[in-house]
Amino acid sequence: MSEVDPCDWCEEVLQPYLDRDLNETDVKKVKTHLAGCSWCEKRFKFETDLRRLVRQAAVEPMEPELKAKLAALRLEL
Amino acid sequence: MSETSPEEARRIAQGARDRVHFEEEALALADQVYRVARGVSRNKEEAEDLMQETYARAFRSWESFTPGTNLRAWLLRILTNLNIDRGRRAQRTPDQQPLEEGDYFLYNRLESTSGESDEERILERLSQDHVAEALAAVPHDFRDVLVLVDIGEFSYAEAAQILDIPIGTVMSRLHRGRRILKQQLAELAVEAG
Repeated sequence: MSEVDPCDWCEEVLQPYLDRDLNETDVKKVKTHLAGCSWCEKRFKFETDLRRLVRQAAVEPMEPELKAKLAALRLEL
Repeated sequence: MSETSPEEARRIAQGARDRVHFEEEALALADQVYRVARGVSRNKEEAEDLMQETYARAFRSWESFTPGTNLRAWLLRILTNLNIDRGRRAQRTPDQQPLEEGDYFLYNRLESTSGESDEERILERLSQDHVAEALAAVPHDFRDVLVLVDIGEFSYAEAAQILDIPIGTVMSRLHRGRRILKQQLAELAVEAG
């Protein structure tokens, strides 16, 4: 069996790792690899920033008027 | 007027209390639900309409919610279903342009045009509007998953349950959705360059 390239493996688990969906053992493995690989570290940082950017697309809070409208939709007692 | 038995009266009172409790819990989650609504909608007005439809339906069908289960996921299931019903199917189909460069697409493209390798600066060029615009261009099947996982912070399993699709599909749509998003962002960043 040929050995899997650690950077290829890292790229593969990048998505579940950043989406909080990777098991603990693999998370540890990723962290160890990232500490010693600047290429993968850069890749992970970039993907992390991208996710942060997406979250920022939805930061503006709901208008108070909408909140009132939603409360008004409650059924009559 | 017929007499209501004490037992019947108690039952009615209990039901009313449960409902009020449900409504209050649902309203307390409105800010979080709105963030997802905003992420899956093209603009604020659309998000606000979607919120009202979602809450109207949730209040009407409160009895189908199982107490003790995840109310936020339940509300978002209503929201995503309504959003699909709203005819977003009219949106253009997924970009068929091959993305051989895959995940390195945005990375490579931005690096080659900016002549620098500081990713932070690359992403700094993109404003909140750019991201919203790019997200809006992602076909809804992919965008729903992306928004639930990135903005709603749901796990793959929860997103799968909300959208009623297998976990493997969540992962592949997420992957594909992010690729499309990166492609859109790359185009916008180059324009904004």
